[in-house]
Amino acid sequence: MIPRLGVAAVLALCLAGCALPYVKPLPKEAIEHRIRTADGWELSLIEYPAEGPVRGRPVLLLHGIVANNRNMDLDERHSLARFLAARGRSTWNLSVRGTGGSDAPDTARGRQPGYDFDTIWKQDLTAAVAYVRARNGGQPVDFVGHSLGGLMLYAYLSQGGEGISAAVTLGSPARLDWGLRLTSLIPLAAWVVSPRWVLPMVGQATLAIPLTGTLKTDPVQALLYSAGNVEPETWKRLLANGVGDLSAGVALQLTPLVREGRFLSADKKVDYREAMARIRTPILVVAGKLDRVGVVPAVKDGYRLLGGPKEWRLIAEENGAQVDYGHLDLLIGERAGTEVFPHVLDFLDRHPDG
Amino acid sequence: MRGAVVLWLAALLALPAAAREGPLLKSVFHRRVTAPDGTALALYRYVPDGGGGGKPAVLLVPEVGFGRGAYDFAGAGLARYLQERGRDVFVAELRGQGQAQAPRGWSLGQWISLDLPAVLDAVSAAHPGPVDVVVHGYSGGLVLAACAVELKGRVRRVVALSPVVLPEVPNATVAKVLREGGGLGRLARERAADFELLFTRGGRISPGEVSRLRLQVTDLSPVAARELFGWMVQGDLPLPDGSTFARRLPLYDRPTLALLAMQDNFAHPEFGSPLRELSPAEVKLELLTRLNLLSEDYTHLSLLHGADAPSEIFGPLLRFLDKADRSAQDAEELR
Repeated sequence: MIPRLGVAAVLALCLAGCALPYVKPLPKEAIEHRIRTADGWELSLIEYPAEGPVRGRPVLLLHGIVANNRNMDLDERHSLARFLAARGRSTWNLSVRGTGGSDAPDTARGRQPGYDFDTIWKQDLTAAVAYVRARNGGQPVDFVGHSLGGLMLYAYLSQGGEGISAAVTLGSPARLDWGLRLTSLIPLAAWVVSPRWVLPMVGQATLAIPLTGTLKTDPVQALLYSAGNVEPETWKRLLANGVGDLSAGVALQLTPLVREGRFLSADKKVDYREAMARIRTPILVVAGKLDRVGVVPAVKDGYRLLGGPKEWRLIAEENGAQVDYGHLDLLIGERAGTEVFPHVLDFLDRHPDG
Repeated sequence: MRGAVVLWLAALLALPAAAREGPLLKSVFHRRVTAPDGTALALYRYVPDGGGGGKPAVLLVPEVGFGRGAYDFAGAGLARYLQERGRDVFVAELRGQGQAQAPRGWSLGQWISLDLPAVLDAVSAAHPGPVDVVVHGYSGGLVLAACAVELKGRVRRVVALSPVVLPEVPNATVAKVLREGGGLGRLARERAADFELLFTRGGRISPGEVSRLRLQVTDLSPVAARELFGWMVQGDLPLPDGSTFARRLPLYDRPTLALLAMQDNFAHPEFGSPLRELSPAEVKLELLTRLNLLSEDYTHLSLLHGADAPSEIFGPLLRFLDKADRSAQDAEELR
C-alpha cells in the first residue's frame, strides 16, 4: 500500500513540477463570481471590469472543448478578455461545468458525470447569460465563443435562447465529415467509451509540457496550432492553465458531426444545423486558414446556415495576416491581439442594437 | 580531340533530355480540334501500352490560366501516371489555354457551349464510350455545369480537384488581377511572391518546379476575367443558354470524388464543399490536409505537382476512376 502511494505521490509531484513554472495567476483586476445553474452546479465566471468609460454592452466569453476560461485570458500578452476590457467592455469569462474553477462531477453531492453537450448549453450558457444580464441592468449581452463555445451559441440561439445582442464565433465547425481516415475509429471509440466517463485531459496536458518542442513532427501541434504563430512557451502556458477534462457524454453527442455531418441534440430529435436558419442575431464568423479542427469549409458551412445578419472573416496570410492561423492561434496566437481581436471588437461595436 | 570532347559533352547533356522527351514522342499525340465557331483547340492523347481498350478514356481539363503542363510536366504528372497504369488519357486545352487559340474576347461561356462538346466529340471518336473526367479549380466547376447539359450522358465519373461551385472573391490579389483584365500570366511572370501565395505557398513543390510553372500561365481575356470576377461576387454565373451555373447544379448527377486542397488560396476549399448539398450526385468529399495523415496541407498546384502527389492524390484518384459503375456492377452480378 505504502509503495503504491509513494509512487503516486512522486508522480503527482513530477506532474506538478512540470506545470509549476508555467502556472499563471489571474490578473488582480479579475473578479470571480460563483453562479449557480438550474440543476445545481456552481460555475466560475470571471469578470474583467471595463477600463475607463464603458463603450458598449458587456461581453460573455465561452471557451471550446477540452478547455477552460483561461483560453480567453492566458496572460497579459494573450488575452481576449483583457483586450475587450481595456477598450471599455465589461467582460465575463465562463468555465463550463467540469472545467477550470467550476464544479466537477461529484456523485456524493448529486453532480452526476456523463453530462452532454445539450446539458452544457441549456444549463451553463443559460445561467451565465442570465447572470451577466442581471448584473448589468437586464440589458442583453454580446458574446464570443471559440470552437465548441460557438456551437453552444448556435444551439442556444436556434432553440430560442434570448439575451444575446451580437456575437462572434471563432473556429466553430458545423459539420466535420471531411473524409478523414480517423473517423473510421469512431464507432469503436463510441463502443468502448462510457458516456459517464470523464476523460482526464488536464493530467495528459501536464505530462505533455516537457515534450513540447522535442518532437520533429508533433501531432498535437499539427492539430491545434501553427508553430509559426504560437511560441512554445505560450503553448506550455496553455497546457498548464487552459486545459479542461472532457465529459465523454459531450464527445459522444458530437460524434454524428464527424461521422455524417449531423449536428444533433442528444435525443436526436433536433437538427441544430437546420434550426440555425432561425437565428436572427448578428454574428461574425471567423475561421483560421490552417485550422485543422474547425477546418474552413466546416466553419463556412455554419456561416452559410445562419439566417440573420452575418459576416465572414478568414484569418490568413492571403488576407494580410502574418501567417495562416490554426485552431488555437485565434486566441493565443502571438499576433491575435492585432490580427483577430480588433475584428471581434469592431463587429460588436458596429452592432450596438443587435 | 576538342571535337570529341564537345561531342561527348553534347551526348551527356542530351541523354537525360532524351530520356525525358523520348516517351513523349513515342506515345503522345497532339491534334487540333476545331470548335463550331472555328477556334482551334488543342488535344493531347497519351496512349498506354496495349491501347487502353476496355476502360473509359480519361479527359483532363486544366484550370483557367493553365494548360497541358498542369498535367504533364517534364515527363511527370497525372497524365503520364494514368497512362502508365493503362488508361487512355486526353488533355484538352480550351480557348485561351496553352496552345489553343485565344480569339479576342473569348469567354468562359464558350468553354461550356462550344469547346467542351467539341473536345468530347474528338475524344469519343478516338476512344468510343463514356469518358471519365478530371477537372481542376474554376474550370472544374464549369465542366461540372457542362456535364449537366452539354455533356449529359457522355461522362461516367468525375474527379474534381479543388472544384469551385460556390465561389467568393478569395482575396485582394485575385480581385485585383481580375478587375485589371485577367493578367494571370503577367502576374505569374512578374510577381513571384503573389504567384506563390495564390498557388503554391506551403506546398511541397520544388522551387525549380514553381519557376517552370510560372512560365506556363496565360492571361485570361478581359471578358473571361469579368465573367470569373462576376461569378465570385454574385456567387452565380450566367451561361450562354440562358440558364445559370447555380441552376445547373441540381442537374449534375455524376459520381464524383472531390478533393479539396486545405491551403488553396486561389480556389478555396469552402468554394467546393457545397457540391454535395447543391447537387444530387453521389459526392465523396475529402479534405487534403495533414490532419488526414497526408504529408502537407495541399495547395492549388501542389495537388498536381507536390512531391507526394503521386502517392497521396493520383493513387486514390485512379482507384476512384477504376471503380465500375454501380449499374454495370449490378448487371455483372446478375449475369
